[in-house]
Amino acid sequence: MSLQSSAFLTLLVLSLAVPIILFLLLRASLTDLLRQTLRVQAGITFYLRSFLLILFLSSLSAAIGTSFYLKPDSRFMEYVWKGAEGMSSTLEKTLWFVAIYLVLITILVATLKIKDDK
Amino acid sequence: MTNERYLIASYFAGAALSAGLGTMVYLFLRRPFGGVADATSSKRLSSVLKRLLPWGLLFPAVLGFVSVSYQGCGRTTYEDIVQSRSYLVEKNQEQLSSVLLYILVAVVFWDVIVLLVLKYAQNGRNESQLPQVDD
Repeated sequence: MSLQSSAFLTLLVLSLAVPIILFLLLRASLTDLLRQTLRVQAGITFYLRSFLLILFLSSLSAAIGTSFYLKPDSRFMEYVWKGAEGMSSTLEKTLWFVAIYLVLITILVATLKIKDDK
Repeated sequence: MTNERYLIASYFAGAALSAGLGTMVYLFLRRPFGGVADATSSKRLSSVLKRLLPWGLLFPAVLGFVSVSYQGCGRTTYEDIVQSRSYLVEKNQEQLSSVLLYILVAVVFWDVIVLLVLKYAQNGRNESQLPQVDD
């Protein structure tokens, strides 16, 4: 396997690990929050699935967009730097979309839960 | 395989993949979305939303694919574009990345729609629970 493919595969594996870890960490508390907020069970499933999609799509979108085509005589560390660049882009995109999702969930809780508590 | 053959094969495979990804995301969200749409008291709204969801995911996927142009980086003619295999692979990666990003934006959009639908359904429930005043 060439250095190019190895670097790309490493980035792909790392960018798959990020959403998996984040989802496993947040799933239980997000489910509890949604259960307290929503009366419709389908709504809970929808928001959990969309959270999973947001994590994977943002992460993979950044990782796949990273090109490892460097000049033929490139050294090992140049591929590492390129991988780090890809990882930075992956984490940045994931962070932005998770932030958007959090804002959305906050609006959901603010608009639906307060009325239910009355 | 020549670069030109690779370009043709990868372009149509990419188009099929983008449509496939849009369909897969639709199938993943279809059932819970249907449940949310059914929670509204209006049957027409529920029906319209359920019919719009597949197009609201498929169109962004295809849009993401076609939004990537092969012309650029000093390559304006067809001969320039098919000259380098690495350039073609790079463009394929860019197309796939763009497809995923557009689907992602569509999912966030549908999240907002579901939020509005749930609010509408809640208002409907609250109104139906109000005590009826006789004239």
